[in-house]
Amino acid sequence: MITSRNPGLEDLTDTRAIPRRSVGQTLLASGTVLALFVLVLFFFAMRPDVFLSFTNVRNILYQVAILAIIAGAQTIVMVVGDFDLSVAATSALAGAVAASLMLSGVPISIAILAALIVGLLIGLANGLLIAYLNLSAFVATLATLTSVTGLAFLVTEGTTLFNLPTEFNNLGQGRFLQIPLPVFIAIGISLILWFVLRFTTLGRRWYATGGNVEVSRLSGINVQRARLLAFTVAGLVSAIGGVLLAARLGSASAVQGEDNLLFSVAAVFLGMTIVRSGAANLVGTMVGVAIIGVMSNGLNILGVNAYVQQVVTGLIIIAAVTLSSFKSRGR
Amino acid sequence: MTVLNGQVEPAALDRTPALEARDIVKRFDGVHALENACLSVREGEIHALLGENGAGKSTLIKVLTGIYSPDSGIMYRAGEEVEFANVRVANRAGVVALYQELSVIPSISVAENILLGEQTPSRGGMVQGKKLRRRARELLESIHQRVPLGMLAADLSPVQQTMVAFARALATDARILILDEPTASLTDTEIKELFAVLRSLRDRGVAIVYVSHRLEEVFELCDRLTIMRNGQTIVTKDVADSHIDEVISTMVGRSPGELYPDRGTATTAVALSVKNLDGRRVKNVSFDVHRGEVLGIGGLAGSGRSELLRILSGAQKHAAGEISVAGVPLPHSPGVGRALNAGIALVPEERRSQGVILGASIQDNIAVANISAVSTLGLVSGARIADITGRGMKDLQIKARSSRQHVSELSGGNQQKVVLAKMLARKPKVLLMDEPTRGIDVGTKAEIYRLIRQLAAGGTAVITVSSELPELIGMSDRIVIMHEGQISGEVTADEADEEVLLAYCYGKADSHDNFS
Repeated sequence: MITSRNPGLEDLTDTRAIPRRSVGQTLLASGTVLALFVLVLFFFAMRPDVFLSFTNVRNILYQVAILAIIAGAQTIVMVVGDFDLSVAATSALAGAVAASLMLSGVPISIAILAALIVGLLIGLANGLLIAYLNLSAFVATLATLTSVTGLAFLVTEGTTLFNLPTEFNNLGQGRFLQIPLPVFIAIGISLILWFVLRFTTLGRRWYATGGNVEVSRLSGINVQRARLLAFTVAGLVSAIGGVLLAARLGSASAVQGEDNLLFSVAAVFLGMTIVRSGAANLVGTMVGVAIIGVMSNGLNILGVNAYVQQVVTGLIIIAAVTLSSFKSRGR
Repeated sequence: MTVLNGQVEPAALDRTPALEARDIVKRFDGVHALENACLSVREGEIHALLGENGAGKSTLIKVLTGIYSPDSGIMYRAGEEVEFANVRVANRAGVVALYQELSVIPSISVAENILLGEQTPSRGGMVQGKKLRRRARELLESIHQRVPLGMLAADLSPVQQTMVAFARALATDARILILDEPTASLTDTEIKELFAVLRSLRDRGVAIVYVSHRLEEVFELCDRLTIMRNGQTIVTKDVADSHIDEVISTMVGRSPGELYPDRGTATTAVALSVKNLDGRRVKNVSFDVHRGEVLGIGGLAGSGRSELLRILSGAQKHAAGEISVAGVPLPHSPGVGRALNAGIALVPEERRSQGVILGASIQDNIAVANISAVSTLGLVSGARIADITGRGMKDLQIKARSSRQHVSELSGGNQQKVVLAKMLARKPKVLLMDEPTRGIDVGTKAEIYRLIRQLAAGGTAVITVSSELPELIGMSDRIVIMHEGQISGEVTADEADEEVLLAYCYGKADSHDNFS
């Protein structure tokens, strides 16, 4: 019975202290980034005339702008180790609130402000349920998803609200330097979230809480407040996404942007694979958003059926996350 | 005191042991958890496995039940050499360990608990309910128990849960039962009931390995005993031939002196004062600690020592009592943040789950406890993080490639130094350390002892909780022992003596004279 196996404690052995990574591991470490390049090259090779043209790149950016914002919200929540199933529902409700207020004559700015406050309050409610009443994030945000969708149906009376003011629609459809406004807004929000996560004490507290709640608590961090704030910010940012979506479509319905829930979680998961710690991070999320955007646009150009696109997207996520779990096991 | 190295004493050769482990060696991180540990258990006996915390009992049990594979050593089951690759293989060979917390699945019924998994009577994938209940009832009756079969296991009392676990072990035809502290949460009547069942199992030929800190129980119940110390088996003998004093002194052994630095840094200025503290597992505790003093707190697991530290650090709420630092009272249940600001820092017991974020770098870990020190107006300064990290790594001689290395890649000793570094950066007036050297190699242990004394020399009051009596004695200026939430004894370093401390640990405040 002579063996050097050491179950459960392999991670502790001295070999771990040796800081060498093989070329294969390094490739795997950036596997997700690589996947993005491969996708771009693939679609470029298939349709060199169209895929990388200015118009199409602009199209891609326009298509992913709102997903980028929602995924940013999801990133914050996943940084603290939770997730939020209600982001897309919150964005739909925010769009509906703004649209309905504008249609009843409320000034655009007030309507937008009201929509953002609604999003903030939903986030706050999620945070209170999860951080202070200790509900699981799954249960709490599933419940708010359900109620918020119901509210959105109430606000829209089950229809699609349109005939929104042109100034409002311009927010989503206008261009600056030939680039659609939502792209600028998405970049702006992403930069702000990136900055907060990276350079502020709040970002530190969020990452610490997500790293290990108990360690953070014993280090003097108010973990309840950190989680509450994360959900609140996510609610607010989701609402911004929802208002922009309504402006882009020129209409609001209770279910618009539903896809953004699953795609936002997928983008964050993809992004988690690009850093060694495996934590949610904004740069990674944006890579994930880009992969999803490039995929959907490229398959569209190739004339692939939309349902097939959805199947392929799922497979890509499985592939990327599997690769990265190999990576962490290899370490 | 004969050290057995693979030799079983003559009496044991009479019969083939039901289970025998010879010369088991097990290292973690290069530290010997077991060094030539031996155990030989006969059919139809209750065999006590004794030793201080850290002596290697739990590791040995884990080897016996297939949770750990030993680095070397041989095991025999009824004379045949065996290798237990995992728990299932050990169970199939009839070796079953019952742990306190994991004994039943609370969400299913008693009958289902008794006949779990492969034992569940079924035909074509359908559970045969009637047969299940009949078998379960038979098994319970065989140990004279009447527990309602349909009841949820969650609703059972602790002793009933233990009984259900016994019945399950019998269902799998266990021949060697290993019990780890089975009486810890039982009342006296329940213990009597448990003992009756254990004796009846013994009379049916089951071999029982009984791990307990309660020596009186061992003398009442067991037939033979094996004492371990520092990962080695020291002796195996009949309980009838043993005396409790001799057992204690064998468990304790000698203490190495050179490991510990000199004392003499204590002052008379009170750093921390605790008055009538009451809370979960802590009853009416009062004491003072002075600047420059190292106060050791001892006691058995579950005696309330860790809870006391957690209350002091603000991590656990308390019901009543007053805590003051340098004469300034803290608000009631201040929370960790305010306790830290007041100058109380805790180095927690479970390094990997409470001390460090394993997936984060050294500098991020240190920053977590010092966020306000490394930021201005909510903005974090990378330079200041690098600065305090650099200082901490240098002062504590943390061995790492860089401050950006992930803590998961460090050795246990260096991880512990990271925890210390992040707390010391707060410049605490009172440093609380729960098991500061657990799982750490001897070299780093000595470093940590020196560091504790240096801090004391600098005026910090240090409170350390330790299960290892030699460590308590070697390191502390004064030692307080806790028993069932209360302080059961207090001695100065000069008076400290392991036997006296152990007696206090077992709550025998008056038994001092019996030992001398």
